[in-house]
Amino acid sequence: MFDAIVIGSGMSGAIAAKELCERGLKTLVIERGRKIEHGVSYTDSLQPWELPNAGMVPEEEALRDYPVQSHCYAMTSANKDFWVKDSEQPYSTPADKPFDWIRGNHLGGRSLMWGRQSYRLSPMDFEANAKDGHGSDWPIRYDDLAPWYDHIERFIGVAGSKEGLAQLPDGEFLPPFALNDAEVQFKQAVESKFPGRNVIPGRVANLSKAQPHHEELGRVSCQVRSLCERGCSYGAYHSSLSSSLPAAERTGNLTIVTDAIVHSIVHDPKTGKVTGVRVIDANTKQGQLYEAKIIFSCASTIGTTQILLGSTSEAFPNGLANRSDMVGRNLMDHLYGLSVVGVLPKGPNTFYKGRRPTGLYIPRFRNVSEPGSFLRGYGYQGGASRMGWRSAALGKPGLGADLKERTRKLGPWMLYISGFGEMLPNPDNRVTLHPTRTDKWGIPIVHVECAFGSNEQAMTKQIIADGKAMVEAAGGMVVNTNTTPSTPGLGIHEMGTACMGKDPAKSVLNGFNQAHDIPNLFITDGSAMASSGCQNPSLTYMALSARAAHHATEFLREGKI
Amino acid sequence: MNDLLSLDRRSLIQQMLALAGAGAAVGFSPAALAKAAARAKPYLSPTHFALVTAVADTIIPRTDTPGAIDAGVPATFDALIANWASPDRRQQLSQALSEIDALAHEKKGMGFAQLSATERLALLTPYDVEALQVVPSPAGGRGLSMMRGPTFANPGYGKLKELIVILYYISETGLTHELTYDHTPGEWLPSIPVTPDTRPTGGAGLF
Repeated sequence: MFDAIVIGSGMSGAIAAKELCERGLKTLVIERGRKIEHGVSYTDSLQPWELPNAGMVPEEEALRDYPVQSHCYAMTSANKDFWVKDSEQPYSTPADKPFDWIRGNHLGGRSLMWGRQSYRLSPMDFEANAKDGHGSDWPIRYDDLAPWYDHIERFIGVAGSKEGLAQLPDGEFLPPFALNDAEVQFKQAVESKFPGRNVIPGRVANLSKAQPHHEELGRVSCQVRSLCERGCSYGAYHSSLSSSLPAAERTGNLTIVTDAIVHSIVHDPKTGKVTGVRVIDANTKQGQLYEAKIIFSCASTIGTTQILLGSTSEAFPNGLANRSDMVGRNLMDHLYGLSVVGVLPKGPNTFYKGRRPTGLYIPRFRNVSEPGSFLRGYGYQGGASRMGWRSAALGKPGLGADLKERTRKLGPWMLYISGFGEMLPNPDNRVTLHPTRTDKWGIPIVHVECAFGSNEQAMTKQIIADGKAMVEAAGGMVVNTNTTPSTPGLGIHEMGTACMGKDPAKSVLNGFNQAHDIPNLFITDGSAMASSGCQNPSLTYMALSARAAHHATEFLREGKI
Repeated sequence: MNDLLSLDRRSLIQQMLALAGAGAAVGFSPAALAKAAARAKPYLSPTHFALVTAVADTIIPRTDTPGAIDAGVPATFDALIANWASPDRRQQLSQALSEIDALAHEKKGMGFAQLSATERLALLTPYDVEALQVVPSPAGGRGLSMMRGPTFANPGYGKLKELIVILYYISETGLTHELTYDHTPGEWLPSIPVTPDTRPTGGAGLF
């Protein structure tokens, strides 16, 4: 019998576990994937010429085993073991509504391969649902979460600049990775020609300057290699393996089981509480029951949804904690892949050193300082770099000494910005269980039905128009635009399927991420999100996880749960 | 700065032809090529391995710096065909090689690998320009468009050249002699001066 069980060891689960362990709770983390280890499981030492198949996943293997995962920019031959084989762990979608579910099942989950961009939601974001009526009104406001953002930023280490922007609150930052000269030129052009728009250094969970509390965990400053997705032996970016699980482990209160696939959460109708978690061993397929006083589900948005919908009983015939019928609904991602690329013929005659693990960020300005013909808004990530050897060598015909000569020269500056747009919560964008298909462990597979709506379509056009205008304002010659958003899911910001809300009839979780229907069940992964904002969400998941762990412990001590 | 901004194709072609006419005396002789192509157990047939060797040497010859053969590109290309390429890809690349060989037979009456370095360059240069005409990309396709790249008039040749170029520029030789690569830069300096010695940085990243 544990005090707490945390399902999932990724971004939110490992933070929940750390916070629970630090409060003295004997905590079990259940991970469906295999055990991997900080350092030894990484391939960050491989030189470019040592990469298997020049970094490319074999074509037949990609098509057979990774038809979805291989769409992700971060997957290479050097880290392919960090991605789920779609062939082994299928899910379904309607034929005309593809959804890319990008997954990493191993200890640490997607915290190993995440993009590390870390932005707070703002007061405006927590008020959005109440204001325009879409989705459930958040039961918390920015001020409720602000101290927990502070707490998480300090712990994980976020490099960033203080900007004083209402729509993108400042945090507890390490020094930023400064803009390069072309980005400074872009910043000046955008900010002078479009008052209210800002170009700032991307806020990123890499240790620009490791602090003593990072070094205590064996983490050191970022070496500016930009090999993050292979795992970082320096522990320079926050992941469960480098940071939160070691912090949990040093309390002596942590137990981890891996290769343990959650079958269901057990509910006791007499007490109205959950009592344990049934798991299936991924290899032997043997069943096991783990019991605890409180349960946190941090299995990722779709994973948590699958567990809740699969945990049926007389009390919950439609899935655990689902009296509202909201479990599985309001699936959101971000508009993603909407990019504008320009060349700067009059870029500065300078260069930079290092491969910075971030770039620039343009915080939301539509429906902030400028109107939009749609609800909500978007930000951009991007960066400027001197065009590299690939474009020099392959960007136009040419052979021999000429090709070598031109590739040896520094390329012109290329500016790249890509919009991330808020997606409205829509109950018809939904995760359900497939009526007949099960996976190899006998668990019903998920069926995902998700599509962008008219608000997202209107936003898409404006993302491209604004992007072009900003690139051109900096003297850029637009050479490429991608005007169609990526398949939903590929933003890898899926969220919303167990939404927080004030009304138990219309939401799954209350303001403490506690299930309305079950007092000792907490859900703190992306499924808790009542709206998506346009910011990269992991920081918010972590802040919610820490806050919920704090309150859950208090409730437990007070005998309330 | 390199001249990627020059998008005038006609002048580009003239420039290429001028270079070919000048007969830049770089690359291996047919005998040296044959020796370089003698590999223990290539996956490719001896004919195609010799062809890849000749094509790689034509695209990236030894000049005052090492070329594709020095960097071991024929062997790493052979390994890619064996370990990475799908059957369709093998067929596509094999056909691209055969077409180059057929062109040599047609114009010069002998195989591409039997030509001198100057003849190879003269033959392949206009072919390269034609093959790499950008055509509209087919609609659809998932993933990020920037990862897919442009569509060429001769996609088989485009992929062949791309693989040879990538294998050279991520090789230790290419990263040492043509570009610079520091596995662990250790610090981010957002602005450093450009000097005559400044080289682009290499690596396996997308940009």
